[in-house]
Amino acid sequence: MKKSLSPISVLAMILLLVSLNTRAQTTEDEWDMGDWSEEEEASPLFAGFVDISVGNRFTSDPAIDGAKTLRDIRLQVQWEKLLSESSLTVTSDLYYDGVLDQVKLNVREFAWQGRLDSIAQWGKNFDLKLGQQVLTWGTGDYLFLNDLFPKDYQSFFAGRNDDYLKAPSLSAKLSGFFDWGNMDFVITPEFAADNYINGDYFSFFSASFGTNIAPGFDVKSPYLPESPEYALRYYKSIGSSEIAIYGYDGFHKSPSSLTSEGQAYFSKLNVYGASVVSPAFAGLIKAEFAYYASKDDSQGSEPLIPNDQSRYLVGYEQEVIKDLTASIQWYLEHTHDYSELKLNSLTPEYDPNRSRIVVTQQFIYRLMQQTLTINAFNFYSTSDHDGFLKLRADYSPVDQWQVAAGINLFYGDDNHTFYNQFEDASNLYASFKYFY
Amino acid sequence: MSRFTLFIFALVLSLPSVAEVDVEALIISSEKVAYYSGQDGRSDARMMIVDAQGRKQMRQFTILRRDIKDNGDQQMMVFFSRPTDVKDTVFRVEKHADITVDDDRWLYLPALDLVKRISAGDKRTSFVGSHFFYEDVSGRAISEDDFELVDETSENYILKATPKSADSVEFSYYHVSISKQSKLPVKIDFFNQEGVNYRRVEAVKIDNIQGFPTVLRSKVSDLVNGGYTLMEFRNISYDLGLPDDVFSERSLRTPPRQWLN
Repeated sequence: MKKSLSPISVLAMILLLVSLNTRAQTTEDEWDMGDWSEEEEASPLFAGFVDISVGNRFTSDPAIDGAKTLRDIRLQVQWEKLLSESSLTVTSDLYYDGVLDQVKLNVREFAWQGRLDSIAQWGKNFDLKLGQQVLTWGTGDYLFLNDLFPKDYQSFFAGRNDDYLKAPSLSAKLSGFFDWGNMDFVITPEFAADNYINGDYFSFFSASFGTNIAPGFDVKSPYLPESPEYALRYYKSIGSSEIAIYGYDGFHKSPSSLTSEGQAYFSKLNVYGASVVSPAFAGLIKAEFAYYASKDDSQGSEPLIPNDQSRYLVGYEQEVIKDLTASIQWYLEHTHDYSELKLNSLTPEYDPNRSRIVVTQQFIYRLMQQTLTINAFNFYSTSDHDGFLKLRADYSPVDQWQVAAGINLFYGDDNHTFYNQFEDASNLYASFKYFY
Repeated sequence: MSRFTLFIFALVLSLPSVAEVDVEALIISSEKVAYYSGQDGRSDARMMIVDAQGRKQMRQFTILRRDIKDNGDQQMMVFFSRPTDVKDTVFRVEKHADITVDDDRWLYLPALDLVKRISAGDKRTSFVGSHFFYEDVSGRAISEDDFELVDETSENYILKATPKSADSVEFSYYHVSISKQSKLPVKIDFFNQEGVNYRRVEAVKIDNIQGFPTVLRSKVSDLVNGGYTLMEFRNISYDLGLPDDVFSERSLRTPPRQWLN
């Protein structure tokens, strides 16, 4: 959503809201911690933060003018209304995006959520959440197999807080809880795409052009999907282990297919999968599988549409020393009907491998009474010989503010591979967040 | 021979009364009073974390607890309401009294709608940035340590606890003062290998709630660098009849408001 507000007026609004919401704080003795928030609920105030973030690419990108990768002045407002059996929640970001010089409104949540006890006796086993919301399931860290809810890769690449990796969708989620297990059923009536890399901030490799391009394109009607997305999960705990089965009926979340006229669109996709998480050794082990049925190319012979794939993930996580948690994941993307793909390919030199393998390593180190968090996450593809390193430090010695800084580094051998196509997107960023 | 018998008799009589204390029974009842009051319980809590430079942080949350068995397994949910960046975060624990089985732990992060299973980890690490450890909140299993009575005052028994597995903890031993009257542990001093008392956990205010001696205010101090955390409890009640299904993934996303307000 784009509004015509100047950055100055946004900043003025932010300052006004913050000053309205600031409470005087006094301390008499050490046990006087101020009011309990329950006492403040009589006059419901909003909460939230102001965030200023800046990021630049390391090297210039021939496909994009300018070094800026992140320029945000952001106000987040959170508001919650507790009803007798349910709640209404709004979390909304108003921000000035200095890279595109636009003011944007991002409603992350505007939803009613409640138990259905009040409606009927059968309702006691059901919860419903209706409206704009962020949804997540699955077991991978930064790797998503059965989670087909929208992601925001532009934010992920630019170094915004991890909270922004998931994008909201306007959905209805019905959850049922039974002795034999739990069910989630999500309908998203209007297709919610990923915030994919489209050239607005970062260029991407185009096989047709044989180089990186940055068209800044959006897919528009009539090329947008017209049917709803459906997502289903069954999950159950068995002892200390958790198993889940997933299903999805919808579309590829980024416009990875082309019509014969070369128009990008979101082709049909069904996904079926399962996962398990269990304590093992001194940590946690997890495994997930997903079968991607690319319905518009089930034979694999359409060169402009992705083939079917099987995706596998195995991971292990453990606290290796006090406050330092390490994890590794092994991920395989296996393309089906590969010989058909090769036979029909228009750009065989840029085809992905039959099996794409990614190994991730993560270290999270919490220091100084958990006020400083160092997070290092590396994706490395042993099949593509490329990778993506995310390094980030967050520091917050008080409740009122946080500072963060980090780098996103893409590396590799070939200019067309999954991660290394973004080599010129490699960037350094810093942010300051003030909670009001 | 008779003189020798008499001597032993006199020796037994002259032993301080500490020898009459059944240490095993004392620590079992102390554990029960400290962590297992009633079949279940709820409490609002808030912490003020003060670092060595005097900078303050606040945490506010509601705890629900349910015992599977006294001095045994427990279920716990912690619902955070303050500060803003942790609001609606929920922490879920299935505590296993068997020390060879790790506790099951989950964290719900509302901004991502993410239920994150947490690997077991060191229990002697900070609880949400405070000077309290996870283990101070959920209770250190008494089977982890060997206890001996070292002193006694008019109000307290003072026990020395030595870890059975010295490698697994940062302390060399600790002294715990257990109230004779309530059986609550009222002060714990931790000592390092050099015998320096570097950490203290103390009950500052105790009251009787529904017949259960209950800590209303406690403080943990880093005696080396001067930082400390205050924890205060309010709206405490026991034996609410909390149902099993409150302690589930459902409550992470849809908090059981009936029990929270």
